[in-house]
Amino acid sequence: MMRLLMLAARNLTRNLRRSLLTGAAIAFGLTAMIMMITLQEGSYAEMLRSGISMLAGHVVIEHPDYAEEAEPELVVTDITALGERLHEVLPDAVVAPRMQIGGLLTSPTNSVGVGLQGVNAAAEKQVTDFDDKLVQGEWLDDADDRGILIGAALADRLDVGIGDKVVFMGQGKGSEVESQLFRVRGIFKTGGAELDGFVGMTTLAPTQALNHTPDSAHQVTLHLKNPKLAAEARDRARSVTPPEWKVMTWDEAMPDIVALIRLDRFSGDVMMAVIGVIVAMGVLNTVLMSVMERIREFGVLLGIGMRPGRVASIVLLEGLVLGFVATVVGIGCGIVAAYPLVTYGLDYTAFMGSETMEMEGIVVSSVIKGAYGWNRIAGYGVAAIGFTVLSAIYPAYYITRLEPVEAMRSV
Amino acid sequence: MSIVSVRNLQRTYQQGTITVKALNGVDLDIDSGEFTVLMGPSGSGKTTLLNCIGGLDTPSSGSVVIDGTELGKLTKGELSDLRLHKLGFVFQSYNLIPVLSAYENAEFVLLLQGVPPKERRERVMQTLKDVGLEGMEHRRPGELSGGQQQRVAVARAIAGRPALVLADEPTANLDSKTGHALIELMKHLNDVHGITFVFATHDPKVMDAAKRVVQLVDGKIESDDRR
Repeated sequence: MMRLLMLAARNLTRNLRRSLLTGAAIAFGLTAMIMMITLQEGSYAEMLRSGISMLAGHVVIEHPDYAEEAEPELVVTDITALGERLHEVLPDAVVAPRMQIGGLLTSPTNSVGVGLQGVNAAAEKQVTDFDDKLVQGEWLDDADDRGILIGAALADRLDVGIGDKVVFMGQGKGSEVESQLFRVRGIFKTGGAELDGFVGMTTLAPTQALNHTPDSAHQVTLHLKNPKLAAEARDRARSVTPPEWKVMTWDEAMPDIVALIRLDRFSGDVMMAVIGVIVAMGVLNTVLMSVMERIREFGVLLGIGMRPGRVASIVLLEGLVLGFVATVVGIGCGIVAAYPLVTYGLDYTAFMGSETMEMEGIVVSSVIKGAYGWNRIAGYGVAAIGFTVLSAIYPAYYITRLEPVEAMRSV
Repeated sequence: MSIVSVRNLQRTYQQGTITVKALNGVDLDIDSGEFTVLMGPSGSGKTTLLNCIGGLDTPSSGSVVIDGTELGKLTKGELSDLRLHKLGFVFQSYNLIPVLSAYENAEFVLLLQGVPPKERRERVMQTLKDVGLEGMEHRRPGELSGGQQQRVAVARAIAGRPALVLADEPTANLDSKTGHALIELMKHLNDVHGITFVFATHDPKVMDAAKRVVQLVDGKIESDDRR
């Protein structure tokens, strides 16, 4: 087998320029693919990072029906005690409870429908970068139950600034309309139309009061230093959480985003497969040409007693060697070429006009840093080798049909 | 004992609407250790007969038995195995593998036969010595003269210790001196090692060296002289 492999490798050097060109086509294709998937994976990672920090957590505890119905009364209760127990089993995790109430935010000049989010200010500052997005004012204080942060677009609509009063009217538990006076403490600008135009953020206490559910939250989110331990953290959290609450990892809590990424990744893979087929056609052409030039030689090999399948295996091995070398080179070049994307990112600021942009409703940075998708890179590498070997199947099959005497007459 | 037994061998080809009888009822027995030459003008059927004996071509009718095995009853794979273990071939245009060295070309058949590495090395080195290519083991065909390349082809043919070596016009591409040396080499291998050779050739030098000359005309054996 080793000798056949050596023979195949030497055969590739017969027309070195042709082999190099074919290998370069495979390698270049892989390099381009790796750069594309590195950007793609980077954008997914940024979407997930942002989505996890702002919309969920690495682990989420909520009422089992909340995800479906989002009714105000579907809260997790006794969150102070739950938070203490969670700290005991997950000392490094940040526990950030959140309340969400829909209603109307009114200023002396205008009214706008908003989602009011109640958060633990200290915890939220650690797990989101909302405080970095403040363009005016200051971050919330848990001791202040009258402070509110609003988006820049919302502030424009309401025509309010720092220190101005706004009134929130919303429907809490029990269908009663409640109202609460707030004073604008800060104005943020995320770049997300929904966040900047229709979201207010306050501390947990006033939202609990509006909802008539003290010591409660719609979601208790846990944020980990190592996101890869989410499943283990979920199990630990589950062990100290009353069984009536649902404990989920981030991917279970954000199935839409996960499905969206999966779909996008799949469509990317389909596109790459199409490119792969085009490259494979080029390889098929080269291998077939190389086989046709050596019909006489294959006839001799058959003549001296090499079984047809074994002769065909030389051609398959040539495809394998070509594919393997080109893949190693392509992956190496791809990793090197994608390194600046991973380190410095691709800056879309000039196109987006701001430092953030919205992807599928999630606000992300306009500088998308790439992330090596090692599994996909490995998968593409295997596929590239597979495509090359597949390209050699027809020429190899052709050889098995040869009659030695006919083949040896070939010029 | 016959190493080759050919009975009523016929081989017809279709060339357009014309049917050509390349072999027309050939009967031939070749014993072990013979040095036989198939002579005849172009188109007399000598190469076709050689190809049929070697299992490279399929007869239209009749039978070929090599060392007790009837070729017509073998599958494609079994036929390959028979060629590998019992036959050696020397072709007119050498037909060496250009990317392999002289050593590797001669070793190739032994590799296919599954001969262990140590024995393989010893046999190849000895064979190359026998054909006068000592010291040229690492040269590739492109770095050898025509005569040297044909010696590599002979080494490849005999390294696997076949029962029979079939040589089709082995001297046709060589100059007179080189051709003569090659014939002497094969004669020596026949005399010393008892290897059975069957040639298809026009070359009178080969005929001079032969122990038996079979004359073919129009696909039939016209004469069969033992010397």
